[in-house]
Amino acid sequence: MIFREVEDRDLIAKARKGDVEAYNLLVSRWEKRVFNYLLRLVSNREDALDVSQDVFLKAYQNLPKLDDAARFSGWLFRIAHNEAFSLLRRRRPESELAGEPRGDDFDTRHARGSLLPMELSLAVETALGRLNDDQREAVLLKVYQGFKFEEMAEILECPVSTVKSRLYTALDLLKTTLAPSLSLSDARSKVRGES
Amino acid sequence: MSSSFDCSKLDWKGYALGELDKNARAEAEGHAATCQACRGELAATRLTLDALSTLHDEEVPRRIAFVSDKVFEPRWWQRLWSPTFAAACVVAAAILVHGFMSVTRPSVDSAEIQARVDRAVTKAVADTEERQAQRFEEALTYLQKQNNLIYKQTTF
Repeated sequence: MIFREVEDRDLIAKARKGDVEAYNLLVSRWEKRVFNYLLRLVSNREDALDVSQDVFLKAYQNLPKLDDAARFSGWLFRIAHNEAFSLLRRRRPESELAGEPRGDDFDTRHARGSLLPMELSLAVETALGRLNDDQREAVLLKVYQGFKFEEMAEILECPVSTVKSRLYTALDLLKTTLAPSLSLSDARSKVRGES
Repeated sequence: MSSSFDCSKLDWKGYALGELDKNARAEAEGHAATCQACRGELAATRLTLDALSTLHDEEVPRRIAFVSDKVFEPRWWQRLWSPTFAAACVVAAAILVHGFMSVTRPSVDSAEIQARVDRAVTKAVADTEERQAQRFEEALTYLQKQNNLIYKQTTF
């Protein structure tokens, strides 16, 4: 991780001088994380890809404004957050007209009691989709991207207490939503272990 | 733990997420050893986090790259600042200066030399002519003396 940070710093320094290849290497290192963060936030593959490109374009244009290269990851996700919420705000009226979040199909499957490991992933995706944008983003940044509370507060430009509140509420909701699936899956695992 | 301990003060989510410092972790672990409700709370949180971890990252459908985009071309002044370009400029300037010096210097020297040669030749010619004239005068004087002598001998 230390070597990675040093190398990122070198790439950032080269990119600041106009070295496009250095920046492309930097993009190749971060694109998967940024894309998946955006994918789970905006819930659409094409939108996530488009926004990812916008994020890296803006990041390149604003690289000279990055004070500390060691804080690149938080700074990059700050841009991603802004771009994603800009899209979500533009999209909101349409979503409100469309009604409730996705995932009704999962309830039908779950009612039949036929959850498989892949369906557990779908259940998680559905449960994440039921969170509001702020709660879902808190889970994405903490659980999937591994940021500390302080880093999240910088990315989201809000106090740590707000970050914790969003995240803890989200985890409580996820626990409630996933509880039936988890007990079923857990029970099935135990049965498999005993047999 | 005493029965008056307030379990709600313990941050089990923070514990499961690795956000507690060493002292807070030790306090939480000490309490969990004696409190079934807190152990249940921690287990439920961990189960939720385990479930979340079943969702794996997807591959990016297309590579994001900016190789041929003009927006990313360095500006002319950025090119000037590159060490390679600057070194090339210095070498080119050195070659130009050297070439200029080597072309102009011979033309100046040759003119001066030519003038010096002309002056030397003129002087040499003048000196020679002067010497020739002097010898001619001497020879003429000698011949006149010889003629006068022969004339005197024949008349006497």
